[in-house]
Amino acid sequence: MARMKFLCDADRCIECNACVTACKNEHDVPWGINRRRVVTINDGKPGERSVSMACMHCTDAPCAAVCPVDCFYTTADAVVLHSKDLCIGCGYCFYACPFGAPQYPRTSNFGSRGKMDKCTFCAGGPEADSTEVEYAKYGANRLAEGKLPLCAEMCSTKSLLAGDGEIIAAIYKERVTQRGYGSGAWGWQTAYRETITV
Amino acid sequence: MHDKQQTAINRRNFLRAAGGASTVAVATAAATLNPDEAQAYNPGEEEMGPRYQETDHVKAFYRVNGYETLEK
Repeated sequence: MARMKFLCDADRCIECNACVTACKNEHDVPWGINRRRVVTINDGKPGERSVSMACMHCTDAPCAAVCPVDCFYTTADAVVLHSKDLCIGCGYCFYACPFGAPQYPRTSNFGSRGKMDKCTFCAGGPEADSTEVEYAKYGANRLAEGKLPLCAEMCSTKSLLAGDGEIIAAIYKERVTQRGYGSGAWGWQTAYRETITV
Repeated sequence: MHDKQQTAINRRNFLRAAGGASTVAVATAAATLNPDEAQAYNPGEEEMGPRYQETDHVKAFYRVNGYETLEK
């Protein structure tokens, strides 16, 4: 069975933020939350690198391991989702996540954060597929429509890859054999305990 | 004086007795709780099932991303 993964080819990312904008628009993400964001290292200097980051849907997800109400679950596609009905907004998952993926819609003087929100790999949530309830809580369910995450589909430089892990790894490996390894597939070792060796 | 001392001892005895009773109550409650490990949320077979399909749309994505590398 296909295992869904993200791969950001950092040698191609030009920090255009189209992935961020596409995600916010597609899922009507509330103010204050970015499910995906572009991180730039050595900005403006030689050797500058940008990488588009969101939830990597880890193999052994640390967010799920620390959740006190066990609101996370992993689908057959290996997509890590959560139930906003169960989430208590404690923030543990934010501290556990190596990618800083979990986001919270509110901050208050009394520590109330609201329900956690994160990338769903465009796979919705525990509600019935493509319903208004699902859209309101988790956003569009493109996977059920036979599509892939919009951030990857919108990527102008073909930097962000999403889909079947074996296929996107093959695409990346071929790029590497032609141009060299470059900055590598950042985050793969952390999320999937796997490296791409060529 | 003697009565006063007796009252003080009773109060202390009462607190000891109350402390012992609460310890027994906590132990009983702990024993009756479900000892199973915490279970991850399960929304059901249907929602946990696979959604990914290799449609023409998805194949087109793979093709354009590997346009310079994968087999034509």
